[in-house]
Amino acid sequence: MDNQTSSSTLDSGDLAAPLKIKDDWQVLSPVAILYFAVSVFKHLFSNIIYLIPAIAVSYKSVLEHPFIWLPAILAAFTLLTLFAFVSFKVYRYRLTEDNIEIRSGIFSKKHLNLPFSRVQNVKIEQPIYYRFTGHACLQLDTAGSAKNEAKLVAIKLDFAQQLKARIQNQVQKDEGDTNLENLSADPAASISGSESNKAHQEIVLNQRNLSDLVIHGITSNRIWIFLGGLAPFYNNIFDSIGEWITSLGIDLTELFSLQTHSLLEVGLYALSLAMLVMLVMVSFSVIGAIISFYGYTLSKLDDKYIRRSGLFTKHEVSMGLSRLQMVVQKQDWLDVLLKRINLKFEQSNSFSKNLSASASSSKIIVPSIKPHECQALIDDAYPDNSLNALVGNDAFAPISKRFIFRNIVYVLMPLWLIITSSTLMNGKFMISALLSVLFVGLCGLVVLRWKRWGIARDQNFVYLRKGLIGVDYYCFPTYKLQQTQFKQNLLMRRRQLATVKFVLASGSLTVPMIHEKLAYEFIDKGLYQVESSQKSWM
Amino acid sequence: MLESNFTNATVPIEQLPAILNLNKQSLSEKYAPLNRLLNLGLTLLICVIAMALYFQPFFDLPKNFLNFLPFVIFAVAILGFLITWFTYARDQVKSYTLRELDLHYTSGLFFRKVVSQPITRIQHIELKRGPIERKAGLATLQVFSAGGEMHTFEIPGLPVDTAQQLRQFILQHKDVVKHG
Repeated sequence: MDNQTSSSTLDSGDLAAPLKIKDDWQVLSPVAILYFAVSVFKHLFSNIIYLIPAIAVSYKSVLEHPFIWLPAILAAFTLLTLFAFVSFKVYRYRLTEDNIEIRSGIFSKKHLNLPFSRVQNVKIEQPIYYRFTGHACLQLDTAGSAKNEAKLVAIKLDFAQQLKARIQNQVQKDEGDTNLENLSADPAASISGSESNKAHQEIVLNQRNLSDLVIHGITSNRIWIFLGGLAPFYNNIFDSIGEWITSLGIDLTELFSLQTHSLLEVGLYALSLAMLVMLVMVSFSVIGAIISFYGYTLSKLDDKYIRRSGLFTKHEVSMGLSRLQMVVQKQDWLDVLLKRINLKFEQSNSFSKNLSASASSSKIIVPSIKPHECQALIDDAYPDNSLNALVGNDAFAPISKRFIFRNIVYVLMPLWLIITSSTLMNGKFMISALLSVLFVGLCGLVVLRWKRWGIARDQNFVYLRKGLIGVDYYCFPTYKLQQTQFKQNLLMRRRQLATVKFVLASGSLTVPMIHEKLAYEFIDKGLYQVESSQKSWM
Repeated sequence: MLESNFTNATVPIEQLPAILNLNKQSLSEKYAPLNRLLNLGLTLLICVIAMALYFQPFFDLPKNFLNFLPFVIFAVAILGFLITWFTYARDQVKSYTLRELDLHYTSGLFFRKVVSQPITRIQHIELKRGPIERKAGLATLQVFSAGGEMHTFEIPGLPVDTAQQLRQFILQHKDVVKHG
């Protein structure tokens, strides 16, 4: 990623030149074979989970006949290589003035034709095995379905950067044009459209160093991503751990038997074991955070945010400010203790339906930043937001106290009554006592949940607060609304309460049980702002 | 704060068009009875099949199952009737409103719901007509926004002409034409 500064200072005249010459079908560089092989391999492995039982059953007998499985593996390997090679051979792409075409597919042929002006999102991805040859993948997302995305799988990194700049220029130019037609664009946008030839400097807004990532790993449980990756190896891992423990001379069944040890002892063992497991999980989580966020930088070029991160596979995600739908500021209970915040810039989720892994998703996450940095970033994106003042003055309108009543009386209480009465009838007093403690704890959580809920509005934004022990703040410009929903059941109607749902391109937000009048006000004002502002949501 | 030249901030809330007093249009008169007929038919069909199973002489069924079956038929019949009655009542309160700049759909008997869709945020429209709807001259209007498939705005049981007029209105709307 050393070339980005040089490419960003090139002007678009220079950019267009190398692209125009190759106006004809091209093959990829041979490194692409590696990419195809790896993707096929990944695909196979994600399916192999279903085969694990079959393999496990016949494990022994298979091992005893090496003359069967050795050739089988060899054959599979050859097939894989062949497949990768043919995939590479049939892959062709062509660039024209404002259009990209990709032909691919061995059995089912695909011909993709994508005008640059339809591209929503450009991502550059550099898997670790490309780093030696200086290649990268360029992924182009469209607003349509996830199937329609184009991926150039092996092109030179600097060419990828040029192409990206080129495509984004095109998109910007188009937007500038339509904005002019609309006569509604602010002057800044049209100027940046016409002056897109001018060189711009990238400004680094935020960087995360290793200690931040360690904190992020501890506070957010990234363990699930890691476990997901390890899924095919579970059996082996558990077996070898079991063997290792017995080889150390520890017999777990003996350790936890109440016949030889007192309750206290067993409890202590269990506690220390749990602590150990927690420690391992947390360290895995830290490793996961470092893998996805290593070398994190968030920078800004014109009105585009660019996120770069990744230890093995380097990801580069960029998002135009106009594409930003919502800012989310998340704080879990551990974050509250450590005074850190996870900030998310969310864009339309139709671009990233099948990408849930944190590193590759197209929303921009800034992991574990300090409050003042967070405020600076939010102010940078939305200069006239008043989130800080709202939080400081606690100016959020609370939701109705009926929320507590409803959840405790209609949901928790019946459950508790049924279960405790059945346990009491069976004479299990200990369990019913524990259940009652749990019930009280849950009631406390309901109260806490109620306390967190809040909604506020100013001229241009809607703010939402929610959470349980931690606090999350959501902030979106009102004109980004896609749809509103007003919900009310008979009981709520009697008490003049209502639930409001705001639908945005990045997902929906629901506020339960606010006063009817407030709900109508939010919806009416919201609709008014959407319809009167004439601003595009993209 | 200088560039915020929104006039809407100065409009008092009382003067805004409010979704509280929408001028509601009811769906086609055929819609609720048709739905009732369908639900009744479905209930009847299940009961008939179950009864045929009970009385058929061709193959033996487990004794427990046979003892159980009449109760199941009974339960299905009662439940089916209740559901039919309930959906009929619910279908009758469904309504929609078209304002100059947005579209609203009101539904729900116990759980009232008003969905509002600004026309400027509409991505595309579909008219959906199943075989039965075609027979009855009805259509379902689906409106898609960028909010995703989960939030597809749908008005069922419109007379075909009305549905087509609505569609035409939205397609020719200045907001849609402008933003594509």
